[in-house]
Amino acid sequence: MSIKKLTTLALFTTLSLGIYAVESAIPPLVPIPGIKLGLANIITLILLQYGTLKDAALVLTARILLSTLLFGQLLSLAYSLAGGVFSLLVMFLISRLLHKKMAFLTGAAGGLAHNMGQLLVAFFLTATPGVLTYLPFLILSGIITGFFTGLVTAFLAPALHHPGFQR
Amino acid sequence: MNRTKLTASLIGAFLFLLAFASLLYILLPHSQAEGYIADIYQDGTLLTSIPLYDVDASYTFTVTGASGCQNQVEVRPGSIGILSADCPDKLCVHQGFISDSRIPITCLPNRLVILLRPAKQSQTDSSAVDMITY
Repeated sequence: MSIKKLTTLALFTTLSLGIYAVESAIPPLVPIPGIKLGLANIITLILLQYGTLKDAALVLTARILLSTLLFGQLLSLAYSLAGGVFSLLVMFLISRLLHKKMAFLTGAAGGLAHNMGQLLVAFFLTATPGVLTYLPFLILSGIITGFFTGLVTAFLAPALHHPGFQR
Repeated sequence: MNRTKLTASLIGAFLFLLAFASLLYILLPHSQAEGYIADIYQDGTLLTSIPLYDVDASYTFTVTGASGCQNQVEVRPGSIGILSADCPDKLCVHQGFISDSRIPITCLPNRLVILLRPAKQSQTDSSAVDMITY
């Protein structure tokens, strides 16, 4: 990995961690575990659209480990990893299927996949089928928040092609 | 290009239908029961069942998990909620009191779930026939 690449990925990890920190300072909008904006996903989506799967996976893993270390508890690692990795794979698949166009679709699918991964972990951890009652709420919130994450990524595209941001 | 458009439409339609179905499910009225029984689970095992329709005065008790985590539960006539908890996010406390089976209370860090299920109709249904004589 070149020094330039390393620096760029480190910058993206920092950005992602910063966004994550700001988001966790916002009080929860709905009292349902798992419903949140998922703004840090913007960085994953940008790297998938303008970089490679490896870039996105590296930054995502670094961000999840760091955020667990700084803000979370060990349990949240399981949720974050399940949601993050599942969402990354789904977004990779969709963005390549769509030839990196229409990022809002990729974002919506990623948000959905993230919530489904987390619900699955919650299901196994609590071993209570009752948590599946949250399914419709998590489907809806994942698609809506992911849609906006995708839109943000699309609006960022011109800025990322700026000469000052060549990779 | 045309294939990409087709793929995009299919993915879009799938996501839209899924979101729409979820919205319908959330908004449609659920079957209203006259009374509910609260089942309290921790780590997947049923700790206790409380018939909420049978509660005359509010009372509180503390659920302590295997790891020592604590949730203070308050039972009121017809509803149940978590007053305080030692979990970091306090989502279960913010959810307040529930009185129907639509959304359960879940404290993920302490692996505590409170689910309401409709009680047997005959116990509280006042419109039911009391007795049939010939």
